[in-house]
Amino acid sequence: MFAMKMRQDSAFARWRGAPWVWPVTGFVVLWSILVVVPLVLLVFYSFLQVRGFKVDWTFNLDTWARVFESGRWQVTTRTLRIAVTVTLIELLIAFPFSLWLAKACKSKIVKAVVLTLLTIPFFLDVSSRTIVWRPIFGTQGPLNSVLVDLGLVDGPIEWLLFSEFAVHFGMIAPYFPTMVFPVFLVLSLIDDEYIEASRDLGASPLQTLSHVTIPLAMPGIMAGIVFTLVPTMAEYAVPQLMGGFTVNLLGRSVESALTALKYPTAAALSTFIIALLAALLAALVLLLHRRGGLAGVFGALSR
Amino acid sequence: MTARLADSAPDPLVTAGTTFSGRRWWRSLQHAQVWIRISAWLGFLTLGLTYIPIIWLAVMSFSGRPLSGIPKPLTLRWYTEMTDDLRWVEPLETSIVLAVIVGLFCMVIATAVGRAIPRLRRRGSVLLLATLPMFVPGLTMGAALFFFFRSYLTLKLGEWSIFFGHLVWALPFSLLLVLVLASRFDHRLLEAAADLGASAWHRFWHIEFPIMRPAIVGAGLFGFLLSFTELPRTIFLHGRTVSMPLFQWTQASAHHSQVPLTFALASVMFAVTLPIMGGFFWFLFAKLDRS
Repeated sequence: MFAMKMRQDSAFARWRGAPWVWPVTGFVVLWSILVVVPLVLLVFYSFLQVRGFKVDWTFNLDTWARVFESGRWQVTTRTLRIAVTVTLIELLIAFPFSLWLAKACKSKIVKAVVLTLLTIPFFLDVSSRTIVWRPIFGTQGPLNSVLVDLGLVDGPIEWLLFSEFAVHFGMIAPYFPTMVFPVFLVLSLIDDEYIEASRDLGASPLQTLSHVTIPLAMPGIMAGIVFTLVPTMAEYAVPQLMGGFTVNLLGRSVESALTALKYPTAAALSTFIIALLAALLAALVLLLHRRGGLAGVFGALSR
Repeated sequence: MTARLADSAPDPLVTAGTTFSGRRWWRSLQHAQVWIRISAWLGFLTLGLTYIPIIWLAVMSFSGRPLSGIPKPLTLRWYTEMTDDLRWVEPLETSIVLAVIVGLFCMVIATAVGRAIPRLRRRGSVLLLATLPMFVPGLTMGAALFFFFRSYLTLKLGEWSIFFGHLVWALPFSLLLVLVLASRFDHRLLEAAADLGASAWHRFWHIEFPIMRPAIVGAGLFGFLLSFTELPRTIFLHGRTVSMPLFQWTQASAHHSQVPLTFALASVMFAVTLPIMGGFFWFLFAKLDRS
């Protein structure tokens, strides 16, 4: 065993001089220029001012003061509320579904079909598949006419479209796979023997779920929340198509600030989105820390 | 039955099955069975929310009034109008060219970097840096790149800025795909080849590349597909260039008579892309399962 380790180390030493270190160096430089620098400059930009088309290179907090005065608080809390609600709905549907897919689904064909169906939405154009709901949910659409014809409602339901309901509904389908995939991957890595052992020790299925399965699946659940919360916080197409002008979210505010050439405002709002996300994720990590710590969770998984 | 998990019930006799009620266990299992079925169907229903609109879109593209939500009278009007009004051709060409270039870059960079990362000492920090764009919303990343290119560097935006925006979006996915295979790769194979006198290029081309091929092809395809359908970053970085998703977005969000045309256009796009994607991912997952 030790000899093998030695051998690997010597192999390592041989590879170190090899020409594959420079692609990584190049990549780190490229990514620093394309990702890190623009993000840092974005934060920096929100402290500057634009007069006419010229940037005033003096630091000030005017933009931030205006952002908080101009009633964007309402937009912020609404965005936060909708993003968190959608993420929770996704988790509630995705966790049981992933559990079924990982543990209960025995047919390999069904599994491959479901995974294929889950992967395709990552590459679908959002606007064309969202706009279809508009005629369906409209006051003269088929859904409302069926409801009226059946006598279930007196008149067409107005809140089906251009409402917060419509925005929530429109976001559920696009962000379902982002939640299912991480949770499914982690669940399928859990050894069946843990679950069987828990049952042999007399735990009910519910006890097994809360004491064994969910703690072991925590990294996947966390990843799912991150990958769903990040895009929903800045979702742009769905709120505009499904919410119309009534449901204004942060993503729209950034875009309208940019078209109005209020660059620092757009930068401040973008910075604000990142800060909110960072705070949410930090809170999530802290919450988990109380329940044994992130390291403990990852340790449990690798055991 | 008061038996709980081992930590709260240390008496082995209690947990060893002497007080275990078989009927109760069977009943709880049946309950679980019901719950399993409900969770499966709820998930399928949510998946349906993705695929029903696509079918609906295709049906409505043959309707005389697509926005009415009623599939009659049946007509080919929107398809013939699509061949008359050719404004969608240029965005489509732009998108295809861009997606091919992004796909190629993703393939090359993800392969070069992905095969090196498992051999690094500090792979954690490199991986974190590489996946950083996945934690930044598309709109925010688009705005950040916009300020960087336009305000700080005062460059004129166009295809090149869309390209960089798409690369930042797609490369992390391609890289992760390559990493999955690269971290399982047995380096003793290369060592053996080196001992037998194979050159560095031969070792890569005859041993590493064939084993890594599915991930490399997948990385290119991820790059192509993610670029081909990208919208939020393109909105900020497009300059005067119009990509296909941007064209579809402006058509869909505008409240004018062009909307019915989007139904036909989107149907054609889905008819082309869905079978390719379905075939590829089916192949990928069916093959992964076997190995």
